[in-house]
Amino acid sequence: MASLRTGRIAGGVCAALLAVTASAWAHHSFAVYDHTRTLTLRGTVTKFQWTNPHAFLELDVPQADKTVKHYSIELTSINMMQRVGWRSNMIKAGDKVTAVIAPLLTGESVGLGLEVTLADGTKRELPVPAATSFKRTPDSQ
Amino acid sequence: MRTVQIRGFTFAIAVAVVLLRAGGLAQSKPAQVPDITGSWERVFAPPSSDPSLKPQYLKEWQSRVKATRDASAKGEPLATNNVHCIPEGMPAMMSAQFPMEILQSRGQVTIIEEAFTQVRRILLDRPVKAIDDVEPGFFGHSVGRWEGDTLVVETIGIKESVRFRDVPHSKEMRIRERIHLTSPTELRNDMTIEDPVTLEKPWPVTFSYRRMAEYTLLEYVCEDNREYADEQGRQKIRVDQPPR
Repeated sequence: MASLRTGRIAGGVCAALLAVTASAWAHHSFAVYDHTRTLTLRGTVTKFQWTNPHAFLELDVPQADKTVKHYSIELTSINMMQRVGWRSNMIKAGDKVTAVIAPLLTGESVGLGLEVTLADGTKRELPVPAATSFKRTPDSQ
Repeated sequence: MRTVQIRGFTFAIAVAVVLLRAGGLAQSKPAQVPDITGSWERVFAPPSSDPSLKPQYLKEWQSRVKATRDASAKGEPLATNNVHCIPEGMPAMMSAQFPMEILQSRGQVTIIEEAFTQVRRILLDRPVKAIDDVEPGFFGHSVGRWEGDTLVVETIGIKESVRFRDVPHSKEMRIRERIHLTSPTELRNDMTIEDPVTLEKPWPVTFSYRRMAEYTLLEYVCEDNREYADEQGRQKIRVDQPPR
């Protein structure tokens, strides 16, 4: 666990340096998110919030113990999303979607959205600055 | 009698033609100004050179840069003006993190930056005010003139809290810009930042832009900003669930 944590911190340092470079092009830094792992969430949309400075995808995710865990997924500015083809009507409450997120380092159920598979099966990336600095891992939630 | 009338009429027409031509020449002058109206996107380039700050300001800047880097490495980034949805102001807005639009109208060039809907007005062919006569703000007091094909702009009156690359400056800061087309679709802004209080010598910064022929700027309103700064000035995100 200690070595895993050290590895995560070292990875975080490298990622943070990249994030510092990238942050000049974003509303704020994405260094609050874990750059060493991703979570894949399958759930039901409660809200697709089309706002600046960032959009949000609110998702109820069923757990193995039959409870439901709610995730708030921060997306990028809707201006950046529109420039790569996103539209406000692509997701609606009740849709079943799959989202790949970089979780918040502090452990709350909040994440940065990197990719969303829509209800119709279409996979869409988010235009996150320095997106490749987030290491994709197969963890599911 | 009739011959005199005809001669007089001919003379009047000749005078009218001369006057019309003179007027036409005077009106054609503004048409020679380059057409920089339209949408532009930043051509990303390596960061500008570092400023030559005087020792006491250099120390402050370097420690701030280090603190920012260390905080980000820990996953606890420091909050910037942007976190509070406060616009970047001058000269940072000219980095065009989102597309920007230039509008040329009589006596004024207007620049709109899509991020935070920032607007600056460059008044043409006016005298520059004294620094003490300008209330400090985000975009300042800008006057400009066309020197051949180059728009030469001088800006003063930027708040000391409005910083580019976190570099400290005083109310004496003066930003000089030379904006010119390098091709019909490429624009270059050679900027020089002067500050006799904080800088050892003027700081050159260059931005380049590419024309976006088909792009119309989008609106940008900070409608729901979940980011905030905690007591230690660290950037945090509100994690409570919004009402459904």
